[in-house]
Amino acid sequence: MNTSLLRMLMCCLLLLPLFSAGQDSASIYTAQLLQPPADSVRTQAIGRLAALRIPATFPLLMAINDKKLYLLDQQAVTIDSHPSGEGTYRLYTLYPDNTLLTNSSGQPLLLPLSALKTVDIPRADRLQLAGIAPLLNLFSNDPQKRSLAYSQLKHTSDSATLRILKAALAKESNADALRTGKDALYAIQLYNASTTTIAKANIDSIADNWSDNAPVLLRDYAKSGFLNQETAQYAAAKAVGLEKRYDNLQRVQHFFSGLSLGSILVLIALGLSIVYGLAGIINMAHGEFMMIGAYTTYCTQIIFTKALGVPQTDLFFFFALPFSFLVAGSLGWVLERLVIRHLYAKPLESLLATWGVSLILIQTARLLFGDLTAVKTPQLLAGGWQVSPHLTLPYNRLFIIALSMLMVLFTYLMLYRTRLGLQIRSVTQNRQMSACLGIETRRVASITFFIGSGLAGLAGCAITLIGNVVPDMGQTYIVDSFLVVVTGGVGKLAGTILSGLGIGFFTKISESFFQAVYGKVFILVFIMLFMQYKPKGLFPDKGRIAED
Amino acid sequence: MRNAFLNQLSILLLGATALFSSCNSGVGKTSSSDSSATKGTVKIGVLHSLSGTMAISEVSLKDAVQMAVDEINAKGGVLGKQIEPVIVDPASDWDLFAEKAKELLIDKKVSAVFGCWTSVSRKSVLPVFEQNNGLLFYPVQYEGEECSNSVIYTGATPNQQLIPAAEYLMSEKGGGYKKFYLLGTDYVFPRTANKILKAYLLSKGIPKENIIEEYTPFHHQDYQTIISKVKRFAADGKACILSTINGDSNVPFYKEFANQGLSSATCPIMAFSVAEDELRSMDTEFLVGHLAAWNYFQSNDLPENKKFVADFKAFCAKKGLPGGDKRVTDDPICWAYTGVYLWAKAAEKAGSFDVSKVRNALYSLGFDSPDGPVKMDPRNHHLAKPVVIGEIKPDGQFDIIWKSGGLVDPQPWSPLTSPDKDCDWVNHNGTYAKK
Amino acid sequence: MKTKNNTLLYILFVAFFAILLPAGYLAGLLSVNTISVWGRYFCFAIAALGIDLIWGYTGILSMCQAFFFCLGSYGIAMHLLLKKTVASGATLPDFMAWNKIDTLPFFWQPFHSFGWSVVLCLLIPAAFAFIIGLVLFRSRIKGVYMAIITQALTLAMWLIFLRNETNLGGTNGLTDFNSILGYSLSSSSVKLALYLVSLTVLCSAYYCCYRITHSKFGKVLQAIRDSESRVSYTAYKVEDYKLAVFVVAALLAAVGGMLYLPQTGIITPGRMDVKASVEMVMWVALGGRGNLKGAVIGALLVNFLYSICTSLFPDSWLFILGFLFVITVLYFDKGFMGLGDIIRQKFSATRLKTSQTH
Repeated sequence: MNTSLLRMLMCCLLLLPLFSAGQDSASIYTAQLLQPPADSVRTQAIGRLAALRIPATFPLLMAINDKKLYLLDQQAVTIDSHPSGEGTYRLYTLYPDNTLLTNSSGQPLLLPLSALKTVDIPRADRLQLAGIAPLLNLFSNDPQKRSLAYSQLKHTSDSATLRILKAALAKESNADALRTGKDALYAIQLYNASTTTIAKANIDSIADNWSDNAPVLLRDYAKSGFLNQETAQYAAAKAVGLEKRYDNLQRVQHFFSGLSLGSILVLIALGLSIVYGLAGIINMAHGEFMMIGAYTTYCTQIIFTKALGVPQTDLFFFFALPFSFLVAGSLGWVLERLVIRHLYAKPLESLLATWGVSLILIQTARLLFGDLTAVKTPQLLAGGWQVSPHLTLPYNRLFIIALSMLMVLFTYLMLYRTRLGLQIRSVTQNRQMSACLGIETRRVASITFFIGSGLAGLAGCAITLIGNVVPDMGQTYIVDSFLVVVTGGVGKLAGTILSGLGIGFFTKISESFFQAVYGKVFILVFIMLFMQYKPKGLFPDKGRIAED
Repeated sequence: MRNAFLNQLSILLLGATALFSSCNSGVGKTSSSDSSATKGTVKIGVLHSLSGTMAISEVSLKDAVQMAVDEINAKGGVLGKQIEPVIVDPASDWDLFAEKAKELLIDKKVSAVFGCWTSVSRKSVLPVFEQNNGLLFYPVQYEGEECSNSVIYTGATPNQQLIPAAEYLMSEKGGGYKKFYLLGTDYVFPRTANKILKAYLLSKGIPKENIIEEYTPFHHQDYQTIISKVKRFAADGKACILSTINGDSNVPFYKEFANQGLSSATCPIMAFSVAEDELRSMDTEFLVGHLAAWNYFQSNDLPENKKFVADFKAFCAKKGLPGGDKRVTDDPICWAYTGVYLWAKAAEKAGSFDVSKVRNALYSLGFDSPDGPVKMDPRNHHLAKPVVIGEIKPDGQFDIIWKSGGLVDPQPWSPLTSPDKDCDWVNHNGTYAKK
Repeated sequence: MKTKNNTLLYILFVAFFAILLPAGYLAGLLSVNTISVWGRYFCFAIAALGIDLIWGYTGILSMCQAFFFCLGSYGIAMHLLLKKTVASGATLPDFMAWNKIDTLPFFWQPFHSFGWSVVLCLLIPAAFAFIIGLVLFRSRIKGVYMAIITQALTLAMWLIFLRNETNLGGTNGLTDFNSILGYSLSSSSVKLALYLVSLTVLCSAYYCCYRITHSKFGKVLQAIRDSESRVSYTAYKVEDYKLAVFVVAALLAAVGGMLYLPQTGIITPGRMDVKASVEMVMWVALGGRGNLKGAVIGALLVNFLYSICTSLFPDSWLFILGFLFVITVLYFDKGFMGLGDIIRQKFSATRLKTSQTH
């Protein structure tokens, strides 16, 4: 925060010689602004302050612009953009000094928003600040605001602004903002360059800096033929080079998107595949277990915020993960006991019965929760990992990929390293034979159903990170996940993973060529053709037992 | 032998139920026309999906209609008669919409029907209403290009929502945006809306390459590819998104938008299908600062509106509806509610429930809605009303940042795309060619 | 003895629907809407017969019957819409003008004539069924795989029909027709006529299916259902049989769709979404599969319940339907038609007991 204060001071010092008059009137306007006798007076006061451009008023104006103007005992204050502690913020005075407020022991004063009185300035009034917003924002606390401010300075050429820009850049700590700032600086220098060498040097700097709009900037410059033909061609060539690099990054992005979609499909299909393989059940209600998992997450959030009264915490989500597994799993177990048990080895009947179950579950959810709900994404998983300036991998998707890998590992260990897994595999292969060898097939089936539904619930919990929670959310995924199971081969872990990822990749790759809808149609046709060669999926059962 | 006997029994049972139900409706028909004179009730139909994909949005409209009916009944009804709503569930099934409309008009003999949300449901019931001389009050913003004698459109036409929003974004105050990404769900409203918007933007000198149009299927969940396209498009600033994304696709869209590092400062999203009711329990964190254009916001501080909002919350709490007093009002809810009052007022004015008399009484009819005074068009069945643009706040409410000067007259045929057409039921027979 | 009772049953059915219901309407006891609604159920029943043939008798669960149904409907809808457009003096249907299309797409051209429309409504679904069947049966896809692949196919088609680029009206589908063969669709007598036509077609379809199932061909189908491998070992070309019955089922669905359209007045892709295609199978499952009477009764009863429940219990009808599905599958293997057997067994068991005590 100290750096920002310094920045503030720097700003004041730099601007002081430019606008030295009107210091007194500023105090009057400031007072009018905070306690206006009429709305029109406030409007006028803000307008005047904006026109005066007195640096000392910038913090106040910025607070107005950011809608963060508060009153604490008649004193105008502002807050940090993020809370420090549980819903409390650090406070700063605004005018005439811009300082951090401290308590009696010299520690920063922390107050919740409820202790402050919000000063509402209408948007119309705020808009009067639009003219000087770039200058205000160069010294904002928020890097995003600073970036925007830099980019808006691109086409100025007066030396005063340039000097402020350089000063701001010298203090810039955020990489993104720094890049945009440099871009603006080089652009101004480029357009002011008098020789080919200087121009080329600036073009190189722009290309190396590689901000978001570098290609556009270079291309514009090339088109304008500002200095001479040579620099124009040089800029055009650099622009092409940048676009090529960008395209490569796009490919990485598509790859990631495919991996992300694939891992979601794997997560959903994992449970389905086990259940389907073991019991020969087409569980149309599988998607609804996902929905149950999602609602469990929602409820956990509600319980954490309402009943336990812990508003700002990510903890709920990590509690929700096991909860959703358990709740969905238990309901799956109940369903197995009540309905599925009677339908083993009658796949088509099971399809109908579970469809009925899914109708009931959807309507129950609708009656209980009523409408569109969404889970708050944990702070920890918001935003993304910036691999390079033009490639952001969202944390929530990375989390899902990790979770899905973990679950695959868990399922693998369970199936191939435990006694239960051995039993499941044997029942999957031959129910009667397993029963003859003393395996309690019913118990095994119950447990499998528990795990399968639990995995669906977990998938539902994960999906709250990227989507919303609606009663019929399961239906969106059900056909896709069945396709994964069928393509992969029934009850085959490796098949499910391979086909899930494959379908994910193909969908995303085709989506980058066609529109989203045709991408999906293309995938379906592709699977149909694939089934011509592998009618029993990627990893069919070998031997005669596979035939009926 | 006995098997066959029982089979026959089941057939007979089936027959008997069929006969019973059909007689029931037949009897209902005769008795209702008698009873409405003696017992003093008048029937209206409520045709909103209570199950299926559209239930999320439409259930609230049913509640709003129910509340308006209760209020009117408490004040003594219409023409001295109590309103009796007949609520049916078309289950988001478009064919069932047509069937239920027939049932309401032919069997139940309702005086007016309040319902529909999606364009397809309206298109589905339209012939039914036209053939059976029914009256449908349609409360949702729609794509225009329609001028039916049987529908009272209380929702917005394109010029009452889309054009002001685009105009605002292009203006100095609104940010002076120069590049537009038109993103929507693939159905008729976004398609037509974007066609009109595109024509408008082109007419304002926005070059073609600065406008991108894209559609996703219903319930699309994965916006990774599209957001990376948007990111590239918005790279050199001054770009915004005009979103007609519908329903449950919105949350994944906004989440992906924020997670890939975009924000309302760099590229604001102007939504045409996101209202308070959808935001009610959404995680609004990612939406704050984005915009929406409607004709009404709950944050409107008229005293009429404050009372309306309080009444609606109290109504939902009293009836034990999901959400209770946490419920909010929004644009379609306001117009669904207003629709009932408009009908009641027109019936009072006409002194009859007869459809054509009510329809005639509706022309130029004014009403003090929660959104302030509004007025029916003097020549067609649309409503003139104010346009407002709001900024989403963390509590799911809107900060009103722009409001039209007065009432904006409806234009069912956009002059941008159909300059030769207009809608007039007074001097012409519906849609006519302008000279 | 059994045939005799069946005959009685048929007579009762026909008497009730062909005489009693129209008479009730003419006497003013029933509204024309009731007649129309039952007419629509008959169309579903026709499609259900097809599903019973392919699923109940041959054991192939095809989830793309809804798609064939829609193909039939869309064909007739295109014809009606073109007729209306031409009559109103325009060159293009409304929705196309809005989508900025200036010439009629080539595949709309043949639908100007009613005869061609009917032929194409049958030919196109048959061709689709033939190709799908050829591809799927050749690679020996069966059982659950068949169900999921056909479901995915329907989903793909649904997505394509939803697109506006397909020029079939997108989500809104095709609607707003006014006349068929020159007769106004809104007139009550046309509605009654369509009802009677649907009933007649249902009865003839039933007769055809009855003949098919009682022929040698039908016996082979049932043999395939019971053990496909054994049939193929006995030198029957299983694929050919399956393909034939698949095409027949598609045709029945298409015929149902064709009759459905003028009575409903709208066709949208919603008729072939996942929900719709599962529901079609559900009719047969509830009525009793492997039993033609069951298919008809299932389709009529489920749709009848759907209609009245959505009016009487708007909030809870999904529970009713859901429980009905679960309970039927769990306890009534043969659907409603099996209900009689179960009661009879109970009844005779008690009779036996009482006779023993005496």
